[in-house]
Order: sequence, then C-alpha cells, then structure tokens
Amino acid sequence: MNTLTDNSLMLRVKTGDLDKMGLLFERYNRPLFGFFYHMTHKADLSEDLVQNVFYRMLKYRHTFTGDGEFRTWMYHLARNVLNDSVKQNRSFNFYDVNEVADRLEGGMRADENLERQQENAVLHEAMGALSPEYREVLILSRFQEMKYDEIAKVLNINEGTVKVRVHRALGELKKRFFTNERR
Amino acid sequence: MKDDKEMNCEYTRGKLTEWLNNNLEKSEQMEVNRHLAECMSCQEAFAADKQIWDSMAKIRIPEPKEAMRTNFYTMLDEFKEAEKAAARFSFQSMMESIREFVLPQWTVQVGFSLLLVGLGWVIGNRTSRSKVDAVAYQQRIETLASQVQDMKSTMMLSLLENPSATERLRAVGYTSEITHADDRILEALFTTLNNDPNVNVRLVTLEALTQYAGDASVREGLVKSLALQDSPMVQVALADVMVKLQEKRSVKALKTLLQKEDLNDLVKVKIEQTIKDLS
Repeated sequence: MNTLTDNSLMLRVKTGDLDKMGLLFERYNRPLFGFFYHMTHKADLSEDLVQNVFYRMLKYRHTFTGDGEFRTWMYHLARNVLNDSVKQNRSFNFYDVNEVADRLEGGMRADENLERQQENAVLHEAMGALSPEYREVLILSRFQEMKYDEIAKVLNINEGTVKVRVHRALGELKKRFFTNERR
Repeated sequence: MKDDKEMNCEYTRGKLTEWLNNNLEKSEQMEVNRHLAECMSCQEAFAADKQIWDSMAKIRIPEPKEAMRTNFYTMLDEFKEAEKAAARFSFQSMMESIREFVLPQWTVQVGFSLLLVGLGWVIGNRTSRSKVDAVAYQQRIETLASQVQDMKSTMMLSLLENPSATERLRAVGYTSEITHADDRILEALFTTLNNDPNVNVRLVTLEALTQYAGDASVREGLVKSLALQDSPMVQVALADVMVKLQEKRSVKALKTLLQKEDLNDLVKVKIEQTIKDLS
C-alpha cells in the first residue's frame, strides 16, 4: 500500500529520517531522468543531474515547508540544477541530434516499422529545435502530466502565461514537424 | 450566426492544448466537443495537434542505467554519515550531553553567577589599576606643562633683550600664556615698561602687567611707574589702569605728575578726572 504521500515522506526526511529519501527516489528517478533527457538529450548527463537533484533535496531539505506539492518543489530544484549545468558548460552542445539518431537506431525494436522510426526521428529533431522555454512547458505538460497551475508554480510564472506558452510551443512544434516530415 | 461560429472557432482553438492536456472542466470539454463535431476546419487543426501530441507520447527515451540507482544509495549513505559526524561534533549536541549527564540545571545557573561575580571582580580591579595609571599620566602631563612654561619664560626673557621692537612685542605677548609669572619675569616686564624706547612695547607691557595686578608688588610697581613715564599715551593708559584697579595710593603719584611742566593738556585733564574718580 502506498499510503505515504510525497509530502509526508519529505517532511520525515526533513526531520532527520533520511532513509525516506530512498522511497522518493524510487518514485521519481524515472520521471526526473525523463525530464532531463528530454531537455538535454544526453543520457549520461541526465543521470548525473538526477543524482544532483536528490543531493540538493537532502542538503536543502529544511527549505521544504510542506505547504506546496513535493513534486513542484522537486522540479523547481531540477530546473536550477539544469540551469547551473548549462552555465557550467556554455560551450557544451546540448541536444545533439546526431547522438539522438545513434541511440535510437540502436534502441529500436525489430518489429518497429521504418515509418515509425522516421516519425520518431523527425519529432526529436523538431523538439530539439524548440527554444528551451518552449521545450520545457511541453515536457512538463506532456511527459510529466502536470496541470497548468502546477507548471506555473514550478516556473514561477502565472497560469495564463503557461497556457499561452504551451499553445505557442505546440504550434511551433507542429510547424517544424510537418515541414520536416514533408522533406 | 456566422460571427458566433467564428468566435466559437477561436475559442475552441484556444482550448485545444488544454483539451489535449486534460486541463479542462467537464462543461468546457463538452463545449469544445460540440463545436468540433460541427466545424471541419477546427477538426483539422485539432487532428494535427492530436497527431503531434500522440507522437510525443511515442518518443522513446533510454532507460537510466542501473548505476544511477546504486550511485544514489551510495550518495545517501555518505550523506547520512556526514550528517552524523557533523551532529556528533556540533556545539549544540555537546552542550546537550553536558547538561543531561554531568550537570543538573541549577549548577549551570550557579556557575554562571560565579562567573559573573568573578568577572565583576576582575573588571573592578582593572579599572582601579587604570586609575593609578591615570594619576601617573596626569603627573607626567603636569611635569611636561611646567617644562613648557619654563621654556616659554626663558624664551620671553631673552626675546625682551632683542633690539627689534617687533620681537620685544612678541616676547611680551608670551606672558599671556605664562600662568605663573615669577619675580624674574615681573622684574623684566617692569624694566621694559619703564625703559623701553618704543611706546607700543610699553603699552603692551602695561597690559601684560595688569593681568598680574592681583599681586601687591605689581600694583606698587605700576604706581611708581607713573612718575617715570613721559609718553602721554602711556600716562593715560596707566591712569586708566589705576581707575580699574581702584588703586588709591596712586593719587599722590598722579598729583606729582600734574606738577610736571611739559605735561600734555589732554593728559592733564585725564589725570584730574582720574584723581576725582579715585578719591
């Protein structure tokens, strides 16, 4: 039974029961990895960043008040971790499309048809061409399945802005996706 | 009707992402559904959005390596160790253990009181010792001050001998800074008052001597000086001083002065006035 909420687990971590972070890790390591992977398209880097987020949650556990959702707080830290990493590696080329293609070729299952593979690659490319701002809201709403009000809290902007941003991001993605597909 | 439909299209397209996102209220969702059922162009737009949306779900991402989990638990263990070590050596826990096991509450209070008393004693001791220091310091200052005074009087005396009237004026000026004029200085001043060839020097000297008029010998000297002055200015000034000091003994000297043949008329009037004031 999963009776313990994220918040109650994190509050226990805060009061010194550090082992409870293990449960939170089990719940969130994959969504977090997904978030970083979509943002950077670097698997190794994403693993490091996930580790970094959990380290920061331990280190700054006293800043968790329990007023908001744990997930909101976590993604807030995750964005900071990502921003720091981008700052540290200015010359570093995030979202390398060639690497994406390599990985996908290796990872495709035999029964997946060529069309699917192509579609996947095109979408990847289109996502990579979006600005990080747009990519971020799409990832949070599509892959992390966050409601707009929660995204607003993570990004520290108002809900209306999120709505507009998602709308524009999707429009931009659509434009790139369909022109690329037609090539 | 057409306007209404256009408005509806705009409204619906604004809601599409929310529709996909499952972000709509039930009533809103039904409204969008209803519009989609009757509007082809919105259906098309919606289809495109939905295609993208569904494709996104199919984007495959690699699995994180198992090492990520291992690394996390290693990090967690290390973090716990570090925390424990920090807690063990923290000041707070040290105080806590001392209080709990060694000392009951009241001993701490008594300890602090004793500490305060001790502190008071030490401070008291210190301040009284510094009073002794202050006295010695004061003495040193006084010695220095008297040395400076000595130097000034010596300088004054030698300057009074100077042939330049300006220098002699300066010398007399120094007397205002000399608090205790000794006999040597007074004698030198009277010599200047009675013999200096320069009227200005004599006038300044008279002024300087007036400040020592509390001394009876000074007053006497001033009275004697009346007979010796030949400059009208000095005579008038001396007469003024006599009035100021209310020196009745000077009346006789003043009268003698009146007998002088070459006495200036103005001075004569002044002296007569002075005699009247004094008697």
